[in-house]
Amino acid sequence: MTVQVVCFAGLRKYFGSKTGVKVEVGSSYQSILEALAKINPEAGEVLKSCRIAVNEQFVAPDSPLKEVDTVFLIPPSSGG
Amino acid sequence: MKHLQYNDIDYRTLFDGFRNPNSGAVVLFSGEVRDNNKGREVTHLEYEAYEPMADKMIAEILAEAKLRFKLNHVACVHRLGKVEISGCAVVVITGAGHRKEAYDANRFIIDRVKNEVPIWKHEFFTDGTSEWGQNCDCVTNGHEQHHEHRHEKA
Repeated sequence: MTVQVVCFAGLRKYFGSKTGVKVEVGSSYQSILEALAKINPEAGEVLKSCRIAVNEQFVAPDSPLKEVDTVFLIPPSSGG
Repeated sequence: MKHLQYNDIDYRTLFDGFRNPNSGAVVLFSGEVRDNNKGREVTHLEYEAYEPMADKMIAEILAEAKLRFKLNHVACVHRLGKVEISGCAVVVITGAGHRKEAYDANRFIIDRVKNEVPIWKHEFFTDGTSEWGQNCDCVTNGHEQHHEHRHEKA
């Protein structure tokens, strides 16, 4: 299945604002991070500190991937 | 959006809304833009957020703080877009019966907003370069995944 990944802030230089990644049905959200690291190995380090949000809620990386079209990749916060 | 805005934060007006006969203490924290960071001269900042989620998370943090510290009033507004030097990037106001609760709640809120809420700072320097900021020390400390723990150092 293909999942659309929305990227913010410093992640855009690696993947643009939105990119599609192919992952196996039944895999975990972690597989999205792994697929992205393969697309652009330079982002490997920052991806380790990213969280994934679905429907405005964070999801655990090891939880099973649900049928979602779009996930939001959240790099470390730097507000304030 | 209640807690995010692209125009200047008028914290004087916000503060006036905190006058309350039950509040013996009102604490206002304003995060302001410095002209330098880690030895580099900064020209301005730009903030970006995953807006619906950030707005919702700030509302949840405020609700939790209000209960936990028995606040009479609480507010937090974070800027988005370009903020000039000495501009207000974020304001947190807490009103409580006594100063301990007002101070503690204010610190609790700003720490969580900085470390957990999906808002990002883009710093622009006088040499023409720019850099995305990073509040948390997860990467350098060798943490992997999740930011659900508290970040005492940020």
